[in-house]
Amino acid sequence: MSRATSATPQPSGTTADPEGGPPVFSVDGLWKVFGPKAERVPADPGLTALDPADLRSRTGCTVAVRDVSFDVRKGEVFVVMGLSGSGKSTLVRCLTRLIEPTAGSISIDGEDVRAMDKARLRELRRHRAAMVFQHFGLLPHRTVLDNVAYGLEIQGMGRAQRRAKAAEVVAKVGLEGMEQRRPAQLSGGQRQRVGLARALAVDPQVLLFDEPFSALDPLIRRDMQEEVIRLHHEEGRTMVFITHDLSEALRLGDRIALMRDGRVVQLGTPEEIVGSPADDYVRDFVRDVPREQVLTVRTAMRPASSADEAGSGPAVRPDATVSEAIEAVARAGSPARVLDQGRCVGIVDSAALLSVVAGTGTLAATEPSTATEPSTATEPFAATEPFAAPEPSPAPEPFAGTERPEGAV
Amino acid sequence: MATVTAVAPRAGERPGLLGRAAVRKLLLLAVAAAVLVPFAAARWASGSWPEALTVDVSGPLAGASDWIIDNRDSHPLFLYFFGHVSNVVVIAVRAVYLALLAVGWAGVTAVAGLVAWRVAGLRLALGTAVAFLACGLLGMWVPTMQTLALMVVAVAASVVLGALLGLAAGLSDRMDRVLRPVLDTMQVFPAFAYLLPVVLVFGIGVPAAVLATVIYAAPPMARLTSLGLRGADKEVLEAVESLGAGARQRLLTARIPLARKELLLGLNQTIMMALSMAVIASVIGAGGLGDRVYQALASVDVGAALAAGIPIVLLAVVLDRVTAAAGANTDGTPRPRTHWLYVVVGAAAVAVAGRLADRLEWPDGWVVAIAEPVNRAVDWMTDHLYSGVPVIGGTADWAARFTTWVLDPVRDGLQWLPWWSVLLVVAALAWLIGTWRTALTAVLAMAGIGVLGVWNPSLDTLSQVLAAVAVTLVIGFAIGLAASRSDRVERLLRPVLDVFQTMPQFVYLIPVVALFGVGRAPAVAAAIVYALPAVVRITTQGLRQVDPAAMESARSLGATSGQQLRQVQLPLARRALLLAVNQGVVLVLAVVIIGGLVGGGALGYDVVFGLAQGDLATGLVAGAAIVCLGLMLDRVTQPTERRAKKGA
Repeated sequence: MSRATSATPQPSGTTADPEGGPPVFSVDGLWKVFGPKAERVPADPGLTALDPADLRSRTGCTVAVRDVSFDVRKGEVFVVMGLSGSGKSTLVRCLTRLIEPTAGSISIDGEDVRAMDKARLRELRRHRAAMVFQHFGLLPHRTVLDNVAYGLEIQGMGRAQRRAKAAEVVAKVGLEGMEQRRPAQLSGGQRQRVGLARALAVDPQVLLFDEPFSALDPLIRRDMQEEVIRLHHEEGRTMVFITHDLSEALRLGDRIALMRDGRVVQLGTPEEIVGSPADDYVRDFVRDVPREQVLTVRTAMRPASSADEAGSGPAVRPDATVSEAIEAVARAGSPARVLDQGRCVGIVDSAALLSVVAGTGTLAATEPSTATEPSTATEPFAATEPFAAPEPSPAPEPFAGTERPEGAV
Repeated sequence: MATVTAVAPRAGERPGLLGRAAVRKLLLLAVAAAVLVPFAAARWASGSWPEALTVDVSGPLAGASDWIIDNRDSHPLFLYFFGHVSNVVVIAVRAVYLALLAVGWAGVTAVAGLVAWRVAGLRLALGTAVAFLACGLLGMWVPTMQTLALMVVAVAASVVLGALLGLAAGLSDRMDRVLRPVLDTMQVFPAFAYLLPVVLVFGIGVPAAVLATVIYAAPPMARLTSLGLRGADKEVLEAVESLGAGARQRLLTARIPLARKELLLGLNQTIMMALSMAVIASVIGAGGLGDRVYQALASVDVGAALAAGIPIVLLAVVLDRVTAAAGANTDGTPRPRTHWLYVVVGAAAVAVAGRLADRLEWPDGWVVAIAEPVNRAVDWMTDHLYSGVPVIGGTADWAARFTTWVLDPVRDGLQWLPWWSVLLVVAALAWLIGTWRTALTAVLAMAGIGVLGVWNPSLDTLSQVLAAVAVTLVIGFAIGLAASRSDRVERLLRPVLDVFQTMPQFVYLIPVVALFGVGRAPAVAAAIVYALPAVVRITTQGLRQVDPAAMESARSLGATSGQQLRQVQLPLARRALLLAVNQGVVLVLAVVIIGGLVGGGALGYDVVFGLAQGDLATGLVAGAAIVCLGLMLDRVTQPTERRAKKGA
């Protein structure tokens, strides 16, 4: 269900052609190396081949981000996920040069971020990208309202105007009535709402989240995730979200870049990451994920014959999760038809659904996709287009047909 | 016996490790000594510091002093720089003093009370008002205002100077590296060391007193400003930067407000140090309360000294509590406060009323003269308690015995020791506790004393310091231990320690003179009383901060109370205990030097003598020796960790 909400926030008008618009952030070959004379490391293939310990002893340098490339598209939630020390926090700071990258290029709306001078960079931070921090980063001596208005104050906005605007945002994140409190008087979740409101108040093009909910209790964390999903649903703002929590990444992300030792090891939709891990590391990572809640029925269905098309039985959407399909199938006691805009594109039966849950059936699991960069097929919004075509596209699910043997209805 | 197996190996291993390092250091030192000592002993054989290694600086110093006195009115440096500084200080102090008098006693009391109300609440406001009225009642209104005027100017200058230095050190790493060791070291020096250089330039008078106070009181402001700016939450600063704040916006809207607590603590410390120095600076012409105490002590008039000493204590307590309350209230929970407007209006109303009633000066009829009764009491004490009390003897007997049995042997022993062996002992101690760097500084400082030609008086001072430190540590550790083990003892002690720690050094001389007369023993007693609260407090905190988990595990293994103390608490509190020793030594030295005013003799007396006789050369040499002694004592007792943290 959460997948459904986060995957469909785009009003169809703005993303009629998701490939058409330029990416908001475009990162290409980005390196961040800490240490003396860091800039020589990315340039020297002999050094880049070394493992971290050797590199450290040879040069005193540590690589935090290693040759990372990705695009963040307008309106999507792009999650960067990895364990601590994988370089994800450094990566997000490089986007607005809070940490100066060592090599590579970053552009925002086609403008080169690394070439910006101080004033331009300040303009970028003030208006185009705002960040939410793990430990909130609130000013303890200011009230909630003045904390939220801080970004506007920095921009030079007058007091009355910025307070009015801040009050609006405070209400939007559900903190009405707390405007005059100090951060010390708020709970952790409330503080992070202030942090979120502060970032929203400047009306940025992109919201950057640096593990915003890691310091919160599990229940509050869930609330805050819902809040982000809601905000994204309402505003469709582009978000870059850093997390070390896989379930958070799967809940929120339209696409996920999984990082390890400064490298992106896999980039794809949650379904791809779970359904076809790129390597053993990713496989290990996603082992305990309840697959039926991430994978969609598209993974499990077989192509519909004309008989099926006319037949009865429950209908599910193609982007419904397997667990939703299980519920429908179990209730009806018969296979479900996968309907996309009224057309039957496939059939799921209990055996196929079960094999998804068991992790045995999906071909993708045994035939890992090597794609570490996005392809058309991985694009969540693109899916609606090919499926509208008369014949079902075989491209994303080459295995759907091979699943038939046990599928006797 | 789980206890033995679990605890004994660790307890046995640590000292073993430490021991090996210590033995290595000592062996190295012994080798160096074996090479150097025969050479030095053969070349300059004498118990005291050899004449051949002395540099006579008094001649050139006297020359410099004379030159300054001759040229003070003509040389451009004085005409266009020091002269202006001096004039500005005089005018400022005079202006504040006149303003205080013009507001009248009622007005000043009202202003102080209302300000205290605004920043610290009703209770402290009442306390403040009572304190000011008490100053008047004791007949000390005018001296109190003189001291206050000097303080206002000195504190304002210290805060501005300290904040600027702190800002520089807080924002620039290079400035921090340069300033921090200097500021740290300045805090070690006794107040007396600052007097003479200032007098040399400005002559005796109010400007010298104010500037000495500023030099003494600015370092804590600078240190805490820098600390506050550097200690700001990194993520808040990053958040501010991520919103596109420029450097100036970052400083004004984030770094300075975030450092508020440290800034107010710096203000508090600066005010307390300024008060302490403003009182001591009476020996270089500060006037006011300190001068009254100084004059009274010179004629051993304890009653008069007490009448001036009580206002000093009241002023200290009030200033400390009010500024501390201002700093404590920073946790972001605003409480209802009186508006500044009411404060101003209320104060103005009282001042105008006082003026209209023509009651600006404290009425003579309201003065309670306590000098007489106090002196009678002291006389009675002199008659009955000084000596001849059966069994326990009298206070004078104690003082005499302490002098003959402790101070004299220690002094004679130190002076009898060959000079190189003193250096060797200093080196060994400093190296064992600290690093070779601290050892080198300590040895050089000690050698500097010899070179200056004040070896013997310095060892006299040192003997008083050692005796006082020993007593302080024994009593301080015992009380600290008791307070760390019993909450009730700590609750009882806390208010006492609070008051004692706020009192200026000078005030401690009054009761000891009343009890023990004059001499070296009273100086030592004053030093002990002055240093004790800090030692007790640091010891208690150190013992209490021992990881509760470690204590619990020791208890769960069945360790007895004594075992817990020996095997867990003391080893874990080692750093705090060493810090207590360090602080004890520094504080004791400060008061032992001031003890020169009540017959402590040695270096302190040389300074006072130099000032009184206009013989600045003697005073300056003694001042330099005090600096060396302070440096040596601090480095010898400086634990490695503290040094390492400074990153010098």
